[in-house]
Amino acid sequence: MTQPSDKPFLGFGLGLRAEHYQDILERRPKNIDWFEVLSENYMIDGGKPLYFLDAIRQDYPMVMHGVSMSLGTTDEIDFEYLKQLKALIERIEPRWFSDHLCWTGVDHKNMHDLLPLPYTEEAINHVAERISRVQDFLGQQMLIENLSSYITYCEDAMPEWEFLAAIADKADCYLLLDVNNIYVSSYNHHYDPVEYLAGVPVDRVWQHHLAGHTNDGNLIIDTHDHDIIDPVWALYEETAKRFGPVSTMIERDGNIPELDQVLAELDQARRIAEPYYQA
Amino acid sequence: MSHLRDLQLRFQDYLIDGSEAIEQDIISTENAIAEHRLGTYYNAYRIRLIDCLAVDYSALEKYLGREAFENMALDYLKHFPSSHPSVRWFGENLPTYLRDIYNGKEAEFLEEMARYEWAQTTVFDAADSTHLLQLEDMAAVPADAWPGLTLKFKPALLWLDLFWNVPLIEDALDSGTEVPQKQREDFPRRWMLWRHELKIQWRSLEVHEAWAIEQAASGANFAAICEGLLEWIDEQQVALVAAGFLKQWVSDQLVLNLDND
Repeated sequence: MTQPSDKPFLGFGLGLRAEHYQDILERRPKNIDWFEVLSENYMIDGGKPLYFLDAIRQDYPMVMHGVSMSLGTTDEIDFEYLKQLKALIERIEPRWFSDHLCWTGVDHKNMHDLLPLPYTEEAINHVAERISRVQDFLGQQMLIENLSSYITYCEDAMPEWEFLAAIADKADCYLLLDVNNIYVSSYNHHYDPVEYLAGVPVDRVWQHHLAGHTNDGNLIIDTHDHDIIDPVWALYEETAKRFGPVSTMIERDGNIPELDQVLAELDQARRIAEPYYQA
Repeated sequence: MSHLRDLQLRFQDYLIDGSEAIEQDIISTENAIAEHRLGTYYNAYRIRLIDCLAVDYSALEKYLGREAFENMALDYLKHFPSSHPSVRWFGENLPTYLRDIYNGKEAEFLEEMARYEWAQTTVFDAADSTHLLQLEDMAAVPADAWPGLTLKFKPALLWLDLFWNVPLIEDALDSGTEVPQKQREDFPRRWMLWRHELKIQWRSLEVHEAWAIEQAASGANFAAICEGLLEWIDEQQVALVAAGFLKQWVSDQLVLNLDND
């Protein structure tokens, strides 16, 4: 299994979206260091998405990010899905791949949502064992991402950060720490997001996500359809202080603006984090 | 059954049909009670999959209007919840649903619209073909090899038979031009779709070309195709017509290679 000795730092990247394909190919912007691609969008036979993926891959490092591994489901592991993922990994040779600490369905159904797990020993053991099997099958370590959530379970036996850290330790995997998701969940469940950061082991964190969201008045919903708000930028600064150089990217999935507008946000991430990287 | 599985089944039952048993497992807070918190997932499940269906069936959505499309999509979701890891496949059964289950007006027409749009999705991301037969390759075939010629078509090609003029209607809906009147023919017309480079192309086929391409795709050689075409074409003209089809298919970049049986 691949065991890189040092935490790789790719710089500041973007989620690759179809709306920006042409612009990226024509301009090949220098201030994007890397792209994160949504694995399932490219687990197809051919056509336009793979054409642009291959063309953009020639100029940029990539990482793969999935939404359907369903690490927490109590269904059996979907090895057909993993075979397709493996084929894509072999095609684009990403620096790493990630998926979410969640379940997406059970009884062979898929809700296509990132559903939270209860924070229990049973769930830790269940998910860690499945991550280990996935890593064995794919021959490399993966990253798992913390969710935005709108519910917590009565049976939760620990805070989310302890749950996340315990699984990473037990499965020996790395973490994709989504700063917006920490902010969203801390708002929805009334905890201190800085306390969350303090509970996450520094060496395990290889990647950050940043994104915008929507506040419905009572809950914040992780919609990725707005600019990043100031409190999330402030939390990102705290994140940079604690974790140092970590590959950071911006996700935008709705109301997708022109590429330059997203690049302006990416420059803001640089301005916030880099002073702490040089310290 | 494990405790975790039991919890997941309760949660999923809630998402699918609103079963309330899961509420006992969820913490309520002052700003948001369990019902409201769960409702976020309940609504998101429906919105996400309706939106996905609206992307794959954009012309059908325009034709029906958003409200009617949503109602239809909600009923489809009840009958065909997604089981595939990729949401790309969620809409696969919509033509079947419209044919066998849908209770609204115009079911046959809507089924054909859906079938045609799904065919576009299929062609859109079908496997690429890097080497395609060119007209100069045809010119190099010796005359005595023609009777035994067989063709292999590229994967990004399919055809479907439709009573209604849905390709014309969908094209107008997509491009925002004037939508033609719905017209139903007595016999279905064959429409061919293929991807040329990254763009989807389409055209209708006359009955003898429709027959010929189906025969060619199933492995019939040039002589057998000529013989079959005699049903529509004079004997003196048949080889020319068949060669004309082949030339057209090659020009359309549909043919991977020629072989000889």
